[in-house]
Amino acid sequence: MFRRGQTATALLFLAPFLITILVFFFYAFARAIYYSFTDYNLFNTPQLIGLKPYLDVLGDSLFRRALANTLVFSIVVTTLQTVGALLMSVALNNKIRGQSFFRSAWYMPSITSSVVMTLIFLWLFQRRGVVNYLITQWLTYQPVILTFLGVMIAAQIVQVLYERSRRLPAKWFDPALAAMSALIALAVTLGLNFLGLVGAREVTPYDFQYFSDSWISLGGVRLLSMPLLVVVIMNTFTTIPGLMLFFLAGLQNIPGSLYEAADIDGATPYQKLMNVTVPMLRPVTFYVVTVSLIGTMQMFDQVAVIGSAAPQETLITLAYYVYTNTFKSGAAPVNMAAAAAIILALIILLMVFIQRRFFVSPEAQ
Amino acid sequence: MKKTLLVSLAVLASSAAAQTTIKINGYAGQDNTIYPEMINRFVRPQVPGVTVSYQALQGDYNQGLTTLLASGSAGDLFYLPAETLDTYIATGKVLPLTGQVSTAPFLRNLNTTFTRNGKVYAIAKDFNTLSVIYNKDLFDEAKVPYPNNNDTWSSLATKLTNLKRALGSDYYGICLAPDYARMGAFAVGAGWKPFGTNGKTNLLDPAFQAAFNWFTGLTKDKVGIQPSELSQDWSGGCLGTGKVAVAIEGNWITGFLKDNAPNLKYGTALMPKANTTGKRGNFIYTVGWAVNAASKNRAAALKVLNVLTGPQVQQYVLQEGIAIPSRTALSNNAFFKKADPAAQNAAAVFAGASDGNVVPYTFGPKGPDWAKPINTALAAALSGQQTPAAALRRAQQDMTALQSR
Repeated sequence: MFRRGQTATALLFLAPFLITILVFFFYAFARAIYYSFTDYNLFNTPQLIGLKPYLDVLGDSLFRRALANTLVFSIVVTTLQTVGALLMSVALNNKIRGQSFFRSAWYMPSITSSVVMTLIFLWLFQRRGVVNYLITQWLTYQPVILTFLGVMIAAQIVQVLYERSRRLPAKWFDPALAAMSALIALAVTLGLNFLGLVGAREVTPYDFQYFSDSWISLGGVRLLSMPLLVVVIMNTFTTIPGLMLFFLAGLQNIPGSLYEAADIDGATPYQKLMNVTVPMLRPVTFYVVTVSLIGTMQMFDQVAVIGSAAPQETLITLAYYVYTNTFKSGAAPVNMAAAAAIILALIILLMVFIQRRFFVSPEAQ
Repeated sequence: MKKTLLVSLAVLASSAAAQTTIKINGYAGQDNTIYPEMINRFVRPQVPGVTVSYQALQGDYNQGLTTLLASGSAGDLFYLPAETLDTYIATGKVLPLTGQVSTAPFLRNLNTTFTRNGKVYAIAKDFNTLSVIYNKDLFDEAKVPYPNNNDTWSSLATKLTNLKRALGSDYYGICLAPDYARMGAFAVGAGWKPFGTNGKTNLLDPAFQAAFNWFTGLTKDKVGIQPSELSQDWSGGCLGTGKVAVAIEGNWITGFLKDNAPNLKYGTALMPKANTTGKRGNFIYTVGWAVNAASKNRAAALKVLNVLTGPQVQQYVLQEGIAIPSRTALSNNAFFKKADPAAQNAAAVFAGASDGNVVPYTFGPKGPDWAKPINTALAAALSGQQTPAAALRRAQQDMTALQSR
């Protein structure tokens, strides 16, 4: 049993953490709940006005857009980054040469500050940015590239069939044959280019505006905006490495005997992944999905950095909605910001609860 | 020893008390270099015993000022942008200046802009209005007459269409940002009022619809083009590229063109007249000097305000080409009669403040959110995603929801 002195010492050591939590979480949370039922605007003395702020928030079309954007973003990114992190960790768990180099290299994006990453992506996806430039180059050299690839595939098929007709065990992706095919394709392409039959063509520069008011719609319902899609790509790219570490740690705990047994049964790598790795990683997956859901539901920094470079409707998320309603010019609808924040918190709680209730295996509990 | 220490401490304390410090919050950028210099040059000699420090707010000025006011650490004097005036008055932190400062020397339109319920809340620092700035070379090359002060919406549109037809696909008639700050001026010319008698905004008013349709209709056949389509973020940038013939901007464009397109030959015309009313529309953009109601040095702050809005400072502002000053007495200044394009632009902008239907550029009690439905509708209609009618219906719904909150 604890002795009195011990409890006091423990509390003393925990005090910095507990006080921070009390002030910056519980006190702030309680204030937010209180403000969400008042007419507070940063300058007045709050008066209780009941549910009106919640009704105002729900009646605001920008809030509904922010909610839709956040949910779509959260679901898409969580799926992409969980699957991506799993595949990446499985790849890095193999004993390959330079394993530690690849582990560090692939972790780099998550060390870089998200503000810097956003600026780099803004630059890549500008109207006259790198992405549009590369697409223009691809369109220009398409005949040459397609000829090269076509000839290479044809040469590979001919070679493999020839080897097999001589009863030699040739695989479709045999590297030695592929090198030969590539050489043949290069020669043919150069020859055709020299004869003037195949060459770069004149195309109008590809001119897509990534940060414009364009949407991917389904049956007339606006699902995902182009600027948000750019943020999805960016967010997935930067968060996969962090989540990959959790999976890597989880992979270390899977007994090697399970894989040996699977090998004896003649399982393919895909079967081993689906029937051994994925089920054994379920507790880690639960953790990763939860962390990812909470992180994506609260996504803010990328949107704030892109700011007015994209139309507000295309990018606004719930966290950004809360921010813009708190920091306005003069008297600001802080009550609406508080109400939106509470709604966001409830949605996250609900999502985690549902996930815990239905999707988690007994090992995780 | 102890005694000398006490005496010197007392001397130090008394000199600190005698020295009043006035803190000013204003814009960053250009103002951050101009104002400290003006304070040194004009305020210091005229207000002895007062130290004045200019503290620029980086980033979004309105957000910064709101945070400072809410936490009680804002300056004794601060810039009060007219567009967000109402939201700041609602905070109760802006001192009414009626009876404290004489408003008589300033343009009446500017005083009205800062007046609410009979009280003046700020003195205009300077101001701007809109004018039509055009690239002379493009009009010459297309053999189309320049825009002039007698143009109507339709005659201007005809000129732009002819120019586009003559110059081909690499050139455009006019640069149109999806922004109430530009389109709204045309609606005002057609007789629309941003706030009705009940304080509500009617975007389905025929005058507003006419201006909206004319403005967004210019994008037909790419006569009008959005700045973003030329990788620019405002129409001044478009004009600077030399590919666009006309921009609707204020006097701030002259400094930009001087630095970024020094060889561009440009002229200025007054805003075109609305077809229906035969009147021009214009906005007055202005920023005022306001006093913090919680300031402990109110008397000193008012003295500094008087110097900063005084004739000497305003003459300096005009001569240096910084802005159009707000004193009536300066309207006959020799600068306005100079022949160079920047001075002519300044004269047109000055004239714009009292020609036709002119209203202050303000957002009302809901702040910048008020303009968002209009801007969204403009973006949707200019990019062709929605018909002007559908875009306006949606905007009116959002406006009603916002104003009934």
